[in-house]
Amino acid sequence: MRFRTPAIVFLILVAAVVIQTTLFGMIRLVTPDLVLLVSILLALTRIKPELVLAISFSAGLMVDLIGSSLLGLRAIVFMSAAYIALRTRERADIGRIATAFWAGVLTLIGVVLLLLLGTLFGQSTILGEHVFSRLFTVPLANMLLAALIAPSLVRLVDQDPAALRY
Amino acid sequence: MLTRDRPTRSDRALPTFITLVVLGILLMTFHVRLEGGGVVNVLRTGTQAVISPLQRGVAYVVTPIVQAAEGLGDIAGLREENRALKAALEESQAQLIAVEDQLARLDLFEALYGLDELEGDLGRTVANVIGRPDPLDAGLIIDRGTSHGIAVGQPVIDTNGFVVGSVSSVTDGSATIVPITGSREALAVLVGSQIGSLTSQVGSPEMILTIPDAKEPVLAGTRVLTSAQSVVFPAGFPVGEVQEDATLVTSAVNTTVLPFVDIDTLRIVVVLAWPSDPGSASGQDEIQNEVTTTTLGEGTTTTGGGTTTTEGGS
Repeated sequence: MRFRTPAIVFLILVAAVVIQTTLFGMIRLVTPDLVLLVSILLALTRIKPELVLAISFSAGLMVDLIGSSLLGLRAIVFMSAAYIALRTRERADIGRIATAFWAGVLTLIGVVLLLLLGTLFGQSTILGEHVFSRLFTVPLANMLLAALIAPSLVRLVDQDPAALRY
Repeated sequence: MLTRDRPTRSDRALPTFITLVVLGILLMTFHVRLEGGGVVNVLRTGTQAVISPLQRGVAYVVTPIVQAAEGLGDIAGLREENRALKAALEESQAQLIAVEDQLARLDLFEALYGLDELEGDLGRTVANVIGRPDPLDAGLIIDRGTSHGIAVGQPVIDTNGFVVGSVSSVTDGSATIVPITGSREALAVLVGSQIGSLTSQVGSPEMILTIPDAKEPVLAGTRVLTSAQSVVFPAGFPVGEVQEDATLVTSAVNTTVLPFVDIDTLRIVVVLAWPSDPGSASGQDEIQNEVTTTTLGEGTTTTGGGTTTTEGGS
């Protein structure tokens, strides 16, 4: 039981990375950032805040290692989004719509931060042809996805069937 | 309003945040300093080696479903597209006959002058695109790696022979491709008889064409091909088409080029075994900066800063 939560979190992250890089990598219209969303939603669980930061940093690092851009870029961005999520998570407890909106806004912050850091470090692979449209479609897609999966994800990680029953 | 009984806000959250930001900046610095090699490359290759079998497994299941869904989505435009394709086919058949005539004449002239083809067939590895690293990352992940002969720096084209990009990292069973529209490196190209360079733009599929020592203006519709001066691509592969007429300004020409390849719709790519020596492929950026290049047909001989010879054939 002691290792159950870390194992669940690890499996969720690996699943998020694989689904992000395969399924969502092929669909042109739907463009969520699933790994960033999981990093944000982990702030709603009972995991210690410093562990949430470490997990989101590792998740970002994993995406960095799979991709072609600078190592540590997404690690910082995902962890920063998770940090803001930890500081504002009470606002997401109101209801499903509030959680979705909260996740969407944090995703927008994450995407803007990623573009900002990417520009500063000359990461042209991030500043591709869809950069301006993705600035809006990624937070929107994450918002919709958060409304669908946030309660289930929190219940799964916390192993608490009563979690986030609004 | 319901609030959950979580651990109280930890005082260690801020120190952890600052520590991890510093660690992230250190990682970025290491990456920049090592130019993506060394430990960074080992870490990247290791992670991709672990993840790629899972990606291939999921892609095997997901790809047919996505393609079927895309097919259903496009069904409304299929009839019109079919009509347009029939017209294009008739035009192409007429052009093919003309090209066959020209090829016959070329063969005759080659035989008359005793010309031998310098370039043998390039080694080609066909690979499936199994995904992308991130919605904001222009890179493509393919299901072929070092075990299939793929090496970092090798050029990638699509099934029509149009330039896609180059391999940026590779593992045993997968590789990541950076398309030319997402690359920082300029690509040496041939426009008519003039040599220029193509660079990518932020937030646009079009690329900027610059011909520094232009002799004549460039017209819209002109095809842009890879140049023999390129150390990234073999010569003669189509890249794109000039979008606007451009006149001479002093001795330079600047205009935009739309690549032929739509990265979003790519499902199959072809990796070229070029240059034949993988060592020179991975070190090509340094070579580009330090040496002068002399073209010998399809082969390229570079001199200065150590001599490296690459031949067009594999």
